[in-house]
Amino acid sequence: MLQRKIGHMLSCKHASRLISRMQDETLSPFTRWMLRLHLSACDGCTRFKAQLAILGDAMRRYRS
Amino acid sequence: MGFYAKRRPGRVAAAMGRAVDFRYHPRLHAHAPMDPVQFATEIESHRGYLLRVALLQLRDRESAEDAVQETLLAALTGQGSFTGKSTLKTWLTGILKHKVVDTIRKRQREPIAVASFDEELDLDDFDALFKSNGAWDTPPADWGDPEAALNQRQFFDVMDFCLEKLPANTGRVFMMREVMELESDEICKELRITANNLWVILYRARVSLRQCLEQNWFAAGAASR
Repeated sequence: MLQRKIGHMLSCKHASRLISRMQDETLSPFTRWMLRLHLSACDGCTRFKAQLAILGDAMRRYRS
Repeated sequence: MGFYAKRRPGRVAAAMGRAVDFRYHPRLHAHAPMDPVQFATEIESHRGYLLRVALLQLRDRESAEDAVQETLLAALTGQGSFTGKSTLKTWLTGILKHKVVDTIRKRQREPIAVASFDEELDLDDFDALFKSNGAWDTPPADWGDPEAALNQRQFFDVMDFCLEKLPANTGRVFMMREVMELESDEICKELRITANNLWVILYRARVSLRQCLEQNWFAAGAASR
């Protein structure tokens, strides 16, 4: 319950930006923790994260 | 059978009585020098792909063609340095990367004004994706089996279509990051933008591509394929 509450302190809008930023730089431990809590409570963002990974894979194949 | 056919095309074909030319089998002769004429033909066959990549980055036909021409020339004269550890296409992309960066550097005398980025630095038009409380308006859909998509050629045609639909600078920055694999600070330096500008542009690119792929591939074709 508490975990869900903390997870929702970060909005999907904000979380999706962090997920994109994560591909380019290392986030601070605190930000990572907030994001992890959000992901554990949010299916939409979990999918978004997986799909960005697929996008990265696709670009790597596009290249080779 | 399927497994062996994939890993040892030569042996299986030979066992089945088909004529196999082992001389240039990429696995067997990774380090053997290739016949120069054949090498030139193989290199030439990647021209279309290289031009597409260069065009997406440079957005100018003339300089893209120049970069590709220089890449092919460098590849021909540097045949010896192709060890066969990577595929020819990857090796060529590596050379092209340097040529593109050179071109962008030369352009720095007349750098893209940050002003021309302005429209792409704003995330306001992306607010529609979220409700007022910041939750997804339409959460990302289930993509089913994306691995299967990556094995289909048409998927990459859709990808090309989606990449070309990105705003000019957004597409270019995304290609620099994901195809050329330049580090964030290198891109910022080349384009004279801040790290924050870069995140916004990459976010725009990823979100737009994700949406475009979902609409044109994962949702549209899932049933018919």
